[in-house]
Amino acid sequence: MASSSVTRSRDVKLQGVPASPGIAVGRVLRLDERGRHQFYYIGVSVAQARMEVRRLREGLQEARTQLQEIKVRLAKELGYEHSFILDAHLLMLEDKRFIEELEHEIRARRVNAEWAVRSVADRAIAAYKQVNDPYLRERTSDLEDVATRLLTILSGHDKFDLSKLDQDVIIVAKNIWPSTVAELDFKHVLGFATNTGGLTSHSAIIARSLGIPAVVGLHDVTRLAKTGSTIVIDGAEGCVILRPTKSVLTSYLGKQKREADRRTRTTSDTTQPAETIDGTRITLRANVELLTEIESLGLFGAEGIGLYRSEFLFLNRLPDLPGEDEQYEIYRKLARDTGESGANIRVFDLGGDKLTLGGFEAEQNPALGLRAIRLSLKVEHIFRTQLRAILRANLHGHLRVVLPLISTITELREAKRIIADVKQEMAEARVEHNADLPLGVMIEVPAAAMMGDVFAREADFLSVGTNDLIQYILAVDRANENVAHLYQPLHPAILRTIADLVRVSKAEKVPLEVCGEMAADPLQAIALIGLGIRILSLVPGSIPLVKNAIRSVELERVRSLMKEGLKLTSSAEVEELLARELPRQAPRFFQAWSSRTL
Amino acid sequence: MQQRSVIISNRLGLHARAAARLVRRASQFNSTVELCREDTGETADGKSILSVLLLAAARGTSLIIKTDGNDEQRAVDALAELVEQKFEEELSDGVF
Repeated sequence: MASSSVTRSRDVKLQGVPASPGIAVGRVLRLDERGRHQFYYIGVSVAQARMEVRRLREGLQEARTQLQEIKVRLAKELGYEHSFILDAHLLMLEDKRFIEELEHEIRARRVNAEWAVRSVADRAIAAYKQVNDPYLRERTSDLEDVATRLLTILSGHDKFDLSKLDQDVIIVAKNIWPSTVAELDFKHVLGFATNTGGLTSHSAIIARSLGIPAVVGLHDVTRLAKTGSTIVIDGAEGCVILRPTKSVLTSYLGKQKREADRRTRTTSDTTQPAETIDGTRITLRANVELLTEIESLGLFGAEGIGLYRSEFLFLNRLPDLPGEDEQYEIYRKLARDTGESGANIRVFDLGGDKLTLGGFEAEQNPALGLRAIRLSLKVEHIFRTQLRAILRANLHGHLRVVLPLISTITELREAKRIIADVKQEMAEARVEHNADLPLGVMIEVPAAAMMGDVFAREADFLSVGTNDLIQYILAVDRANENVAHLYQPLHPAILRTIADLVRVSKAEKVPLEVCGEMAADPLQAIALIGLGIRILSLVPGSIPLVKNAIRSVELERVRSLMKEGLKLTSSAEVEELLARELPRQAPRFFQAWSSRTL
Repeated sequence: MQQRSVIISNRLGLHARAAARLVRRASQFNSTVELCREDTGETADGKSILSVLLLAAARGTSLIIKTDGNDEQRAVDALAELVEQKFEEELSDGVF
């Protein structure tokens, strides 16, 4: 039989969808062994039905308690934004209609609680599967997750305690529910392989944020992989190898070791300065969205915060805006924790694709609409509240303010007038504050880049937001897959724009920073440094990598490399030049790096 | 009774998290809350997540929010606003 030869033969390779990169080699733990519930139909008497209803209620209560605990744990380990998935699950367990329907099923059809849960859930799932929207259709997993939990509790089996694994395992399952991922003892989980799921499934996202290799969409891996057998997961290639032979195993272990080496070679000691071989110091700051990230800054060796996206204060908050005191507490923490290095607070960048305030119409073309500074100047009271909070918090450190999406000098002047006015009001009302608050302009709109000299004369510093600048210069929405290939950070138009800004900032003696994803890519970061940028702000997790790239290059050589790059005619030519020359100039870093990415 | 017509405009439609927000907000009012799909006429209890999920309202679906009770005006205003603000979720897109 074909299937038995498959189950016995060696080196069986299954191709799935790569969900989280990395190689894992280990023993299988198949989860469906606990997920398969022994439930069956039992007809019950009226009196027994009352017992079943009580059992159901106790089960619901137990499920709520479990989910609450998981939610707290998930929030602690991954940040609170991940814990929201469980909100919907909790609401289902509190849902009056759901509970009424379950109880009705038990009473009217005189069945046991398990059977009632299964049939009510199956009806709901069947109805959901009818939906004509693939995203919504996939959400049946939330319903299934809740039903499975209830059934596990009701069927009274001792639950396999995933939070207390005593050996390293690779989890193989049909699908891994988000709440199951949250329960796992991450220390002992080497990888995941699942039958179903796509790149955007919750479990894939969580695996990526934990750095655990995962392959999903493997169809029948649960049938073929047996608990205790050896499995290889290649998260980057999206494949798994069952029952590997010694030679295959050795080759993967070698690959795993090379990846680990590459990580150690390409990341660096955080205590080392970000300095080129020829001694030029580069400042690496952090882009921060959530307060919880601030604690990790020291760990990654960030020198202060180059971009605090203050609109994240609004997360899940509207219609209530955060008040002055609440903002003050947050900015004070930013000021204290960043000390001498200080923090750039970007004024609420709302509107556009982000989040709209009530009272404003939806726009035809939000990227070019009422957003960022345009909105702040229109709803001045929100801007003023934020400024008061920042000025007060500035007593505790070195804060700076950055204005997003500036396109004309009048916007900068208007903002300066408001800031001066707020300072005066505070002084008159004797509100304690520190008025020494540098004001920067985000260079994101081509007009602002072209007028860089004008802005450099009237602002305290310039900060290039590459994501928006590239989008507007090249007129490309990179989220649109039909044109995403035209989103080219190394397009000579972008490089020339940045080179011009460097010239202007030197002439006017005004600091110039670059924040945006370009700064987090080692190759592009080196290109920026070659163009003359000395301050980069990037996601904290990428700082060690970029720092090590910087420590591997000689400034003089990358400067002449970029001089050549500026003469080229297309992004492809620039990329080719860098891909050819950087591994020669800086073999220690770029040979290891390029073997994977170039 | 108050009623208001709204269009689901967030990218992902009325999925679990958006539905959870809607149900939580609806449950803060005394009034009954009913949601009705304009295209199919299906209705849902706005305080029941399962019921709301079963509406399966994808982006672009037109819904009528009906509230009935002593705080019906505030309820219909708050819920319409939540839908119009795309369930406050666009900001966190990419997270989930």
